[in-house]
Amino acid sequence: MTNIVAKFRDEAKLVSALTMLKNNKVNLVDVYGPYATHDILKKVTRESRMPYASVLYGIFAIVFIFGFMYYTSVIDYPLSYGGKPIFSFPPMVIVIFLFTILLTTILTVLTFHARANIFPGKPLKNPDPAITDDTFALVIGQNYNPEEIKEWLKESGADEITEKEIQ
Amino acid sequence: METTYTPKKNMNLLFAAMILVGIIALVAGFVSDAQRTWANILLNNYFFITLAIGGLLFYSIQFITNSGWSAIIQRVPQSLGAFLPVGAILMLLLYFGLPSVYEWAQPGITETDKLIAHKAPFLNVPFFMIRILIYFALFIGIGYLLRKYALLQDKSDDLKYFNKSRYFSQVFIFVAAIFFSFASKDWIMTIDSHWYSTLFGFRNMVLSMYYGVAAIVLITLYLRSQGYFREVNDAHFHDLARYLFRFSIVWGYLWFMQFIIIWYANIPELTVYYEPRFLGSWQPLFYGEMFINFVIPFLVMMSDDLGKKPKVLLYISLLLMVGLWMNIYMQIMPGIFDTMKFGFVEAGLWIGYAGLFLGVVFLALGKASLVPKHHPFMEESLHHHI
Repeated sequence: MTNIVAKFRDEAKLVSALTMLKNNKVNLVDVYGPYATHDILKKVTRESRMPYASVLYGIFAIVFIFGFMYYTSVIDYPLSYGGKPIFSFPPMVIVIFLFTILLTTILTVLTFHARANIFPGKPLKNPDPAITDDTFALVIGQNYNPEEIKEWLKESGADEITEKEIQ
Repeated sequence: METTYTPKKNMNLLFAAMILVGIIALVAGFVSDAQRTWANILLNNYFFITLAIGGLLFYSIQFITNSGWSAIIQRVPQSLGAFLPVGAILMLLLYFGLPSVYEWAQPGITETDKLIAHKAPFLNVPFFMIRILIYFALFIGIGYLLRKYALLQDKSDDLKYFNKSRYFSQVFIFVAAIFFSFASKDWIMTIDSHWYSTLFGFRNMVLSMYYGVAAIVLITLYLRSQGYFREVNDAHFHDLARYLFRFSIVWGYLWFMQFIIIWYANIPELTVYYEPRFLGSWQPLFYGEMFINFVIPFLVMMSDDLGKKPKVLLYISLLLMVGLWMNIYMQIMPGIFDTMKFGFVEAGLWIGYAGLFLGVVFLALGKASLVPKHHPFMEESLHHHI
C-alpha cells in the first residue's frame, strides 16, 4: 500500500492543511514533526486517557507501599527505634511520596509503550530523515481520491509531495 | 480594549466601611486585651506584606523568564506592591507593642534568660527597628523603580525602559529572596525566641509567591467581572492555575520538611515549637491548615480541566486566603498564647486591613493604564492559547 507523504517546512501551513483534510474526512495515518505542537496534537489525536491511568497507578502505589510498610514495620517485625511509636506515619510520608512517583512513572511509561506499540528494536517508521531536523510530514492512507488530496495539499502550501510505502 | 480602570462609586465607600470596622476592632481590642491586639496587628501586617511581596516577585519572574502570556495582567501584581509603603508604616508602629509580642523585647529579660541574653546583640529593640527600615527601604525602593520604568514604557516606543524593568526585576528577586527571608525570621520566628529553624526564612519567602498568585487571581477575576480584561481567556487562567498547583506542592513539601526533621531528631530545643501545635490545643488548626493549603488545592488543581475554570480558581483562591491567615496564625499565636482565641478582634482587624489593602491596590490600579502599552510581549499575551 502506498501512502501520500506531504512535507511542510511551516507549522502553520501544516495546521491549515490538517484542518482541511479533517473537514473532508480524509483517512490520515500520522503526522511527524521535530517537536510536539499543541495545535497538531489537538487535531490528530483523540483525547488521551493516559492521565487517568496515571492516577490509578498512583492510588495503587500509595496503597501498596503503605500496606508494605505497615506489614514490615508493625505486623511482621515491630522494632522500636529512637523511642518512636511502632506505627508512626510521618517517616512513611517520604517513602510513599518517592515510591508513588517512581511506580507511577514506570507503569505509565510501560503503558504508553504498550499502547503506542513502541518497543526496543522496532524498525524505523520515519517517512523522511528530515523530520528530525526542521520538517513536518503528513502521511495519508488509502483514499478514494488521491489526486484530489494531492491538489489540496499543494494549495495549502506543502513543500514536497511524494508517494511512499510506509508500514 | 478597556485600558483605564474607573472604580465604582460605592467601592471606596465599602473600603472605608471595612477600615471603620477595623478601627472599631482595634479600639475594642486595646480596651479588652492589648497583647492579643498587638499580636493580631503583627499577623495582619505580615499577611498583607506577604501578598505585596508575592505580587512583586510574580511580576519580576515574568521579566526574567521572558514570559509573554502574562503581559496583559502585569499591572495587577505590580499594584499589589503599592501596599508596601503603608505596610512599612504599620510595621514601624509595632514599636509600641514590641514587648507584648516578642519575649526578647521585654525589659529586663536578659538578666533572667541566658539564651536571650546570648542573642541580645542581634535581638534588641533599636537594631530590630533599623532592620525593619532597611528591609522596607530596599523593597519600596526597587518596587518604586519597577513601577517608574513600567509607566515610562507606556509613553515610549523605545525598549530602553523595558530592559531597565528587566534589570531591576533581577535585582528584586535577589533582594526579596535574601531580605524577605530575613524579615520573616525577624518578625515571626523570633516570637519563639528559644527556637530556630534554618528552613523558616526560605519557606516563608517562597510561600509569599503562592498566596501572591492567589491574590492576583482574585483581583483579575474581579476586574474581569466588571468588564475589564476581556482578552484574558482560559489559557491565562490555566497558567495561573498551574502556578497555584506547583506552589501547593512546594508548600506541602516545605511544611513537611520543617516538621519531619524536628519530629525525627526529637531534640527538646526544637520540639518546643511543635509541642503545642502538633500535640497541644492547636492540633485542629495544625491539620486544618495542611488540608486547606495543600490537600484541597493539590487534588482540585491536579485535573487540567478543573484548573481552567475561573469559578474553581475563584473558590480555591478564596480558600487560600483563609489558608494564609491560618498559616500565619499558627506561626505567631502558639508562641504568645496558650489557647486558641478567635473573636471580633481577629475578624474585625482582618477586615479593616483588607479594606486598607484593597483601597491602596485599586488606587494604584486606577492611576495608570490597566493594560501596559508598548509592551513587547503584548501581542503574544492577547493571543495566548494552549
